[in-house]
Amino acid sequence: MGESQRLDETLRSFLTRVGKNAEFDLSTPLYADGLGLDSLETAELSAVLEDEFGNDPFSADTMPQTVGDLSAFYAAAVAEG
Amino acid sequence: MIELLRRADPARPAIVADGATTTYGELVDRAEAVAAGLVERGITRFAVLDSDAATVAALLAGSSLAGAEACQYPPTDDTVEIGGLAARFEHGVVVTTRDDPPIQALSPPQLFTATGPRIDSPPAARPLLVLTTGTTGTPRGVRHDWNRVLRAARRIVPAPDERWLLAYGLHQFAGLQIIAHVAAAGATLVAPALRRPREGLAAIRAHGVTHASATPTYWRFLLAELRADGGAAPELVQITLGGEAVPAPLLGELRRSFPTARISQVYAASEFGSSGSVRDGRNGLSLDVLDRPDDADVAMNVVDGELWVRSRIGMLGYYGEPATDPDAWRPTGDLVEIVDDRIMFRGRTSDVINVGGVKVHPLPIEERIGAVGGVDMARVYGRPNAMTGAIVAVEIVPAAGADTERIRDDVRAACADLVPAARPRSIRFVESVAMAGNKIVRRHTT
Repeated sequence: MGESQRLDETLRSFLTRVGKNAEFDLSTPLYADGLGLDSLETAELSAVLEDEFGNDPFSADTMPQTVGDLSAFYAAAVAEG
Repeated sequence: MIELLRRADPARPAIVADGATTTYGELVDRAEAVAAGLVERGITRFAVLDSDAATVAALLAGSSLAGAEACQYPPTDDTVEIGGLAARFEHGVVVTTRDDPPIQALSPPQLFTATGPRIDSPPAARPLLVLTTGTTGTPRGVRHDWNRVLRAARRIVPAPDERWLLAYGLHQFAGLQIIAHVAAAGATLVAPALRRPREGLAAIRAHGVTHASATPTYWRFLLAELRADGGAAPELVQITLGGEAVPAPLLGELRRSFPTARISQVYAASEFGSSGSVRDGRNGLSLDVLDRPDDADVAMNVVDGELWVRSRIGMLGYYGEPATDPDAWRPTGDLVEIVDDRIMFRGRTSDVINVGGVKVHPLPIEERIGAVGGVDMARVYGRPNAMTGAIVAVEIVPAAGADTERIRDDVRAACADLVPAARPRSIRFVESVAMAGNKIVRRHTT
């Protein structure tokens, strides 16, 4: 399974569990009118991603705003090896 | 200490350990030889690195008779750590059977066979150094005097038929309290080679232990061992809990598993000694502990939700620091809440998790999760998080064969009515939780 697919499944599973709309694409914002994550849900997602991938995009210099930002973070991590 | 040992019947077994029994008479002989050997060699302070309870007991009693300051190191094979402790606490001699200590070593038999003049009575000052477990950093040395440590033990009524389990290390203050209690009662100490619940349960069964004192965490593991092996529960006469706040469900489980046992709780710490025990089987301390007279050994007060004590049987001070004032009130670091006629423990000040500015106490969450079916042990702690500073995280030791996905769902359901900051945001299943001295470590570990 590729990183993109793993991210997709991890995110979908998380959103379903916390009762959010699990339909998204790369342009979907993480907060407000997008997925609607609040600060604690975002904190939880960061822990879920760290457990799954070993690192966490929310600890990076630039705060992710969209699903695409998460995807780009892991794509870059793979490229850097 | 030697006075207590001499008071007992010399033919009675004092310590049963590793298949060997040491009588009170043998213990007194060894302790007197140790005292003579220390004086002969001019040793006034020394470290002890030995796990055999009978050896350590003789060394401690001998040191008190000689007025020399003994300090039992925690068990370790790491010579760098031993060297570090020796440097930190300025020990020039260690009594050990190891052949590679980084400082001058004496073996216990060298002291047990000393032939110098015997000492009849101890000097007025009988120092003792106890190391803290170092859960929040490097260990500190807590300076005590045997006169204070044994003050309560002198009031103990002889009970030679009691057989006490040693579930603490003798480097821990609680371990010293147990050995002092056993000596004062002229009872027998059963000391398994390893102080783990599995070995403890085996020793209880093998040696007919009647009394056992341990941390709540130890008891939870022991109950898990009991469930796993399916054997009959030993008929204990007394169960004592101390060292940590007691989760309410644990008391009920202990009552069901050991219906013949009296259950008591001890509130004690290396720094202030023992405040006595609560024997009514209910959780928490009775509110009347706040009304103790001015001349009480240990007086208590609650200040801004934290328990404070004033102890006249406590430490003299930390090693390398000024002496403490016995009349001064000190914070204990224990967070409490007064509920009806009880003082209930809610956790440690150092355990509080700051989730985005909301202070969360881990213990009540841990109690909820501990009551979920299939959970043998739970540790709630603050997991660092870039968004909120920390989130509430839990590590769970599942029961054998338990469905972890179901536990995950049940844990979330059990915590669903908590404020959002207090709900566990990270749930991991582990084989064991981080421990220090049979207590759960609630700070973050990696």
